[in-house]
Amino acid sequence: MTPGALVRLALAGTRTDTARVLLTALSAVLAALAVLAAFTVLAIPTPPATADNPVRWSEHYSQALLREPGLRGGTAFALVLLTVPVLALAGQCARLGAPARDRRLAALRLAGATPRQVTWLAMLETGVASLLGTLTGLGLYLAARELLHRPDEHGRLALPTDVLPPVGALAAVVLGLPVVAGAATALMLRGVITTPLGVTRRAARERGPGPGAMVLIVVGAAVLVLGWPLLARWSAYGPSAALGPVFLVGGGLAALAGVVSAAGWFSYTTGRVLRRYARRPAALLAASRLMADPWAGSRTFAALLAAVTFGAGAAALRAHFVAQDELRREASRRVGVEAGDNPFYLATMTLVDLAVTVAVVIAAAGLLVAVVEGIVARRRAYAALVATGVPRGTLARSIAWQSVLPAVPAILLALAVGTLVARGLFGDATSGSYTSLVCDAGERLCSDPATRERYSRIVEVPATHRVPDVPLEHLALLGAGALAAVLVTVAVGLLFLRSSTAVEELRAT
Amino acid sequence: MSEVSTPHVLLGLLASGGRHGYELKRAYDARLPQARPLAFGQVYATLGRLERDGMVAVTGQERDGGPDRTTYALTDEGRAALDRWLSDVEPPLPYVASTLLAKVVVALLVADVDRARSCLVAQRQAHTARLRELTGVKHAPSATLDDVVAADYAIAHLDADLRWLATTLDRVADWHREVHP
Amino acid sequence: MTQLQARDVVRSYGRTPALRGVTLDLDEGEILAVTGPSGCGKSTLLHCLAGILRPDSGEVTWRGERIDTWSEAARSRLRRTEFGVLFQFGQLVAELTAAENVALPLLLAGTGRREARAVAASWLDRLGVGEVADVRPGEMSGGQQQRCAAARALVTGPRVLFADEPTGALDTLAGEQLLTTLVRLSREKGTSVVLVTHEPRIAAYADREVVLRDGTVDHSGLGVPSTGGHR
Repeated sequence: MTPGALVRLALAGTRTDTARVLLTALSAVLAALAVLAAFTVLAIPTPPATADNPVRWSEHYSQALLREPGLRGGTAFALVLLTVPVLALAGQCARLGAPARDRRLAALRLAGATPRQVTWLAMLETGVASLLGTLTGLGLYLAARELLHRPDEHGRLALPTDVLPPVGALAAVVLGLPVVAGAATALMLRGVITTPLGVTRRAARERGPGPGAMVLIVVGAAVLVLGWPLLARWSAYGPSAALGPVFLVGGGLAALAGVVSAAGWFSYTTGRVLRRYARRPAALLAASRLMADPWAGSRTFAALLAAVTFGAGAAALRAHFVAQDELRREASRRVGVEAGDNPFYLATMTLVDLAVTVAVVIAAAGLLVAVVEGIVARRRAYAALVATGVPRGTLARSIAWQSVLPAVPAILLALAVGTLVARGLFGDATSGSYTSLVCDAGERLCSDPATRERYSRIVEVPATHRVPDVPLEHLALLGAGALAAVLVTVAVGLLFLRSSTAVEELRAT
Repeated sequence: MSEVSTPHVLLGLLASGGRHGYELKRAYDARLPQARPLAFGQVYATLGRLERDGMVAVTGQERDGGPDRTTYALTDEGRAALDRWLSDVEPPLPYVASTLLAKVVVALLVADVDRARSCLVAQRQAHTARLRELTGVKHAPSATLDDVVAADYAIAHLDADLRWLATTLDRVADWHREVHP
Repeated sequence: MTQLQARDVVRSYGRTPALRGVTLDLDEGEILAVTGPSGCGKSTLLHCLAGILRPDSGEVTWRGERIDTWSEAARSRLRRTEFGVLFQFGQLVAELTAAENVALPLLLAGTGRREARAVAASWLDRLGVGEVADVRPGEMSGGQQQRCAAARALVTGPRVLFADEPTGALDTLAGEQLLTTLVRLSREKGTSVVLVTHEPRIAAYADREVVLRDGTVDHSGLGVPSTGGHR
């Protein structure tokens, strides 16, 4: 194919395809911003140890997360993790208009296009859209650096606007993300590529998904909960800094993939149960839809479930920190010191919660895209039903059923998995036993080395541990928020039902 | 296919002006190209009957060496009869009777399923061959619209017969069970 | 001379067998009708012959070479260069104009856009739909779409044209006009045609008819041998 023909064929499309390209670009913007922020944090130079600054802090930042070298890795990692819901959003956007595109690509295959040519076309679309997105992201990043460079009265910075990642890293983000996006597109197109008959003839219906997703969850959780301490023990002997994130990301992704694919099983099972007991047409329609395409649920809820799982994990972590903090204060009281609570970890958790909220919002956007896409993609079938006299209300109810029913168990599972994994990973709050020299006299006597000895005694503080509370309130809030996001997006999506069921749609190709 | 109503066709051919018997035969064969060719004797016999009934009248007679040339023309009564005929709707298939159907029925009665089936298969081959032939006639470069319309008529009927043959082939076993309970 | 052969071709969809061992030859320049009741495996046979589907067992040979073992890409190229495919509907790309649709196989083969368009336009003319060159399929009538699809199937000068119920969505007259044009063009170029149909009227355009029943060739004398029609 000549490049001109390639571009023409890649850009052939309808308004839905344009929307997909724009949303893909938007996802790329968000992903690029998150990764650039992570690289910036990593690019902060660690000053050499001096007498004033033996711990090598970068004192010109107001945020501890940026100031302390030991915390920066975690901060960058959290920022990179923020790309997970963004990528899920991108995945959902890729489904937008997919039936029409699959048909188009299958038609191309029928005309004699090789699998590779078709893959190239689709990759080109995604790649170019993502490249536009990452370039925009880079522009926004550079602009934000200028705008947010505001030192406070002590000359300290809130954000690391004074460092720039190496050019190589910038280039890797701008060019690498589109390549990854293109590769992901190629992966998603496998089904279409193998058959030029595409929609003309589907091979045997795939069976309903089994509960195999649970295996993934268990494996992921095991890697995190059992593997992590093992790794921590080894790390005393060898360098495992590189292995650590691999374990975290690998285990986390496996558990997440399990939660997401469990949504497919939930869809299928609720569909089966609903079909057995449903008496009304709306429920019957929803039931058969759920059983016909159980993976639609997984795709739809992927980002949301990822965010909820993370959120639940964060809630458990916060409970852990709270327990740890209380334990520490108790210990202090024993030695007669009234320590104020240490806001550092809790402040960090507030940042994490903020990130989870952002992720839920992004996921809700993806959900909206998916719901609207689902309605628009089946508009012929819906229009045909309306034409034969099925009330729109029945259709609306069936869409609501099929969105909400599998969402409830999936959200509950995500909450449970997030909580349990975090619990396993961070364990109970503990403090080791130690002895402390306590001086019971007033400040005057104690500060005098001569008299202090006399009034001092040795206090033994035993090792204690405390089981953190299950953050029920927090989890309920998170679950309710996610469910509310589902309901709102379904309600908004239903606004598209009227225009999609106009009887003229029956003529549309 | 049912028989062509020769008297009415002749009346129709005379509607545009008087003609003699030989011209009428040629016009008949040209207008109904795939029909059974009309014999001279039949032309004259029909014309004789039409004259007797007052539908046509002899308007001239000439003889130049060859056969007798009698020119006929349509009378008012003949025109009215033609008009009536054209206005009448043909009864759609009043009696279901065809030699083909009868043959299969008899084959089932006197013989077994295989005999009936082979009868149907042979008929299908003959029908298909004829259908192909007519399709060829229709698409020959020299085909006139007369040929095409006539071939279309026959093709549609053969097509229907072939569909009937195919379904009957599928039903012949059940049918046999019904005939020989 | 035999161009395309199927030997004991078996193909199933899941647990449903569609072809249970079909053997068939296609001569050069021959128009072959494949008929039979719905679900007898006609379309599956066509897909296997055209290299769209791979048989579960058996062989498909094109000019003495087994193509069923070829890679997907190699079979795609074969379809693009030597074969043309025409279905009942749904093979046009809704987002491209008629001329672009017809030009597709040429574009995929690397022909420049201008040249491909010119060739496509000439084929649309030949099929009598030159006026819709810049129209998208959604705005054409069924007959125009089908002619456009036929132009695309013929644009590369294929050696075999595979037509699966090409007139299925058309009325009698439109179907007949399309088929007449297809047969004329095929005869002119010596192209073989595999014509899948359930209509005796359409099958009558062929030189030879093969009847499928339950996934095998019916040998009970239903298939009508060549009447020497093809030249």
